[in-house]
Amino acid sequence: MSAVVSQIREPLIQGGKTYHQITEDIVSPTERAPGLAWVVAFIISVSALAVYVFCVAWTIWVGIGSWNLNRTIGWGWDITNFVWWIGIGHAGTLISAILLLFRQKWRTGVNRAAEAMTIFAVMCAGQFPLIHMGRLWLGFFIFPYPNTRGPLWVNFNSPLLWDVFAISTYFTVSLLFWYTGLVPDFATVRDRAKGLRRKIYNFLSFGWTGAAKHWQRFEALSLVLAGLSTPLVLSVHTIVSFDFATSVIPGWHTTIFPPYFVAGAIFSGFAMVQTLMVITRKVLKLEQYVTLAHIESMNKVILVTGTIVGVAYLTELFIAWYSGYLYEQFAFANRVLGPYWWSYVGMMSCNVLSPQIFWWKKMRRSIFVTFVMSIFVNIGMWFERFVIIATTLARDYLPSSWSYYTPTWVEIGLFIGTLGLFFTLYLIFARTAPVVAVAEVKAILKSAGDQYTGPDAHAHEAAHKAKAH
Amino acid sequence: MSKESKDVLYGLFDDEQILLNAVDRANDSHLDIMDVYTPFPVHGLDPKLGLAESRLHIAGFVYGAIGTLTAFLFMTWVFTRDWPIIFGGKPYWSVPAFIPITFELTVLFASIGMVVSFYTVCGMAPGITNPTLDDRITDDKFCIAFDVTGADEAAKDKLKDFFSQSGASEVNMKTI
Amino acid sequence: MNQFTFESRYRNVLIGFMALGLLCLGITFAIDDELHTRFWTNYLHNSVFFTGIAFMALFILAAFTTAWAGWHTLIKRIWEAYSLFLVPGLVLMLVVIAGVWGHFHHLYHWADAGEVAKDPILQGKSSFLNPTWYTLGTLIIVGIWILFAWKMRQLSVDEDVNGTPEFKHHHRLRIWAAAFLPIAGFSSAAIIWQWVMSVDAHWYSTLYAWYTGASWFVSAIALTILTIIFLKGQGYLENVTAEHLHDLGKYLFAFSIFWTYLWFSQFMLIWYANVGEETVYFFERRENYPVLFYGNLIINFIAPFFVLMRNDTKRKYGTMVFISIVVFFGHWWDFFQMIKPGARHTAMEALAHHGAHEGAGHAAETTGHALEFAMGFTIPGLLELGTMLGFLAFFLFVVFNRLSRASLVPKNDPYLQESLHHHVEIHGDEGH
Repeated sequence: MSAVVSQIREPLIQGGKTYHQITEDIVSPTERAPGLAWVVAFIISVSALAVYVFCVAWTIWVGIGSWNLNRTIGWGWDITNFVWWIGIGHAGTLISAILLLFRQKWRTGVNRAAEAMTIFAVMCAGQFPLIHMGRLWLGFFIFPYPNTRGPLWVNFNSPLLWDVFAISTYFTVSLLFWYTGLVPDFATVRDRAKGLRRKIYNFLSFGWTGAAKHWQRFEALSLVLAGLSTPLVLSVHTIVSFDFATSVIPGWHTTIFPPYFVAGAIFSGFAMVQTLMVITRKVLKLEQYVTLAHIESMNKVILVTGTIVGVAYLTELFIAWYSGYLYEQFAFANRVLGPYWWSYVGMMSCNVLSPQIFWWKKMRRSIFVTFVMSIFVNIGMWFERFVIIATTLARDYLPSSWSYYTPTWVEIGLFIGTLGLFFTLYLIFARTAPVVAVAEVKAILKSAGDQYTGPDAHAHEAAHKAKAH
Repeated sequence: MSKESKDVLYGLFDDEQILLNAVDRANDSHLDIMDVYTPFPVHGLDPKLGLAESRLHIAGFVYGAIGTLTAFLFMTWVFTRDWPIIFGGKPYWSVPAFIPITFELTVLFASIGMVVSFYTVCGMAPGITNPTLDDRITDDKFCIAFDVTGADEAAKDKLKDFFSQSGASEVNMKTI
Repeated sequence: MNQFTFESRYRNVLIGFMALGLLCLGITFAIDDELHTRFWTNYLHNSVFFTGIAFMALFILAAFTTAWAGWHTLIKRIWEAYSLFLVPGLVLMLVVIAGVWGHFHHLYHWADAGEVAKDPILQGKSSFLNPTWYTLGTLIIVGIWILFAWKMRQLSVDEDVNGTPEFKHHHRLRIWAAAFLPIAGFSSAAIIWQWVMSVDAHWYSTLYAWYTGASWFVSAIALTILTIIFLKGQGYLENVTAEHLHDLGKYLFAFSIFWTYLWFSQFMLIWYANVGEETVYFFERRENYPVLFYGNLIINFIAPFFVLMRNDTKRKYGTMVFISIVVFFGHWWDFFQMIKPGARHTAMEALAHHGAHEGAGHAAETTGHALEFAMGFTIPGLLELGTMLGFLAFFLFVVFNRLSRASLVPKNDPYLQESLHHHVEIHGDEGH
């Protein structure tokens, strides 16, 4: 029954695992007391989270005036962070949905953690438009509910409102997708637990039994949710790009923004997955499930998307010149040579140039290089959003209103604070839920793992032995 | 999902291939399998058990269509009947500007509807405890279960013979 | 049968259609206005469309090889054969180039030195939009594509005979495939700006290259499905099953939606911002070419979306033939609407300046008013269909000729067994 898999493929599960060992390896971290590394990381994260709470309180108490936004620069670090986090929040759904379409089985090793990361990143992203409102307590005005003001409806024609719908839909669907995938694994945890832990996981696993009909429906559901998530994930960053591109501001109004933002989101999302997985696999000893083959594949995605983003940067520059439109040409000249030239250089070198190192297999398979590169890309993608937002707003049509923007400590604190929120949530997740999809890994053990049982299994063994030597 | 308790005779298998062969054997001897439980979805099992294809995706389409209509008709009503406002010199009924929200609500309705349907038809919800036969089914055992409520010993022996011939590693009785 | 023979009966039918295409081109030339706008736009339209399909086949091969797709191994010879159409494609484009130099046609506003002299916008672009760059760009870029197509084909065919257990050929193929991807990304954009976007020489859109790329991609997949089903009907490719078809159907579905997404992104942003220089492009099409404009969406989005949404339709040969023909025609229609309005406008201006009175329509003063209906511009006429069939026959002639030169099954490809035992997991995303 097993599918035929070419011997040229590297096994995605190593170490001669049995089904039981897979359960043991992946579930046991949730059963142990956390190690020192986790505790230290948790304390740091929670401290950063405290900074966040303080800065939000300060912003609300003092007002948006505590940020350095001004007449022309209405968006600064806040929206930069928003777009950055939303971008990071794309990898999970992409791994689960788009890699499914492209039949990339290596996604099973990383999809769970990536989906969790997606949800946490979207939570961080969602904070910024809310606190940016200033009067946070009137935040519910963004929802179209029958009201006593007419009813005066929200502006359904505004991209900012589309954002509200896109992000809340994306968050909801990602959460449902992720949680439904977790249910069978929570049942595994439940069936190994005793006492209170068993009660908790019994609650979380919704009464899962593993019956054949349930698995059938489960798979049908996963497939349709994946199918829905594919256009959804495209739509979210597309709509974020509409925030800029529907305007008539040179440098923002350009038609390539939607797909180019999506490519950038994949790029930064995978980078963050790498940052987390390189550490998680080491700490939780999951190297045989998140193998070098997984890391190499993700580095290839980073190379591809980095280059796509590069094509888009150059397209923008070229078309700005080609358009013959003075303001368009100035906007891009200003990006490259203007007062924020350093952020353009940072963006280009981190996003386009440095990923080219992954043309070399040795680099793609080096944990150290992968980790450093993933940080580079995270920085580069932050710069990209900063370049788009700050450089454009600092030089508008009227030279008398030109200015220069630097953040205040509150804005920096908010950014660091969301990092704290993100890592706190991720660390809790890594201790309470299986970070690799247990059932999915078991399902590919005998086709894509090293226990391959297909027709030419002996050739596989020979090939892998030859590689080992 | 009957509330009455059932006597269940079940066998555990160590490998999905043995399980699939056992299901074939059970079908050949016309044994009436109550259910099969596995730690992960076993490919090729559904047709052997005669499970009809899930209609969940059809439900999903209907939910999605409801979402599409809700969003589009609501915005149309707001901007042409209830409170027409001109934005940026565009007509009241600006279809291109309605597309993003229409799309989002289509996906939202379809997803929520399908997930709720899934848990409902599977009899699952937070806090529900469905009876399970063996804790190892979610780990590494593959289980075939027969309902033997009220069955005589001869029938049970026949099933036990089936299990021993088809390579079950364990055979147990449980009332659930 | 692993060896395709290009039998004389196929040959005769294809030659017949090619003759029909030539006849249609000839009639078009004869009944055309004095600038032969309809003739030249038809020629450019089909040359770009089919050369693009050849390029996209090469791109698909490179992408699938790089992504370890594997399942496509049984049909990769078809894409190799498609990609080799780049050579005749370059020859087709050389005719357009000759026309640019010799002023045989008025396809491009920027190619008319008199016009450029009094147009500051065109002057600004003239260091890119000029005959030299047009020629060099085409020669260099298509030349590079041909090099890759030829090299990848050579490695693949050589593997049949000299394949090693270490899969040396495949490893080399991977390097060529990976290297092609960034080259394809940059070069396809650069060339489509020159070939098609510059037909509307004032207008610009950064998304344009990706939009046309998606259109080519869908056409290539649709044509592949048709070719496979034809070859199967002739008794070839017996190992290519509904499973492979299902996967191609998924691509047809997904990329039809992707194309729609790009269409919408481009249209919506321009519509929303309403910058005159950009809006004119869509305004012109919506007002004067409504059949083209709305038809494009109906054929290329509504039809594939509803037909291909269900899994079982992707496995039915009849349905797949139907929808592939619709979508293939639809993207040919898409290129039609990209090229015709702009070229017609240029020609009308040129006719007005040359003092001609009766032409493709009333002269330039009609801008902003409803244009007269003109067969072959407002909608494709029978002559356009005949021309398209002629080009298609030419394309298939080259493809069948190439197919007959090598085994249909790549014998020593490392993924052959995977492709032979390919199964689409309908219910689950994983499994065996």
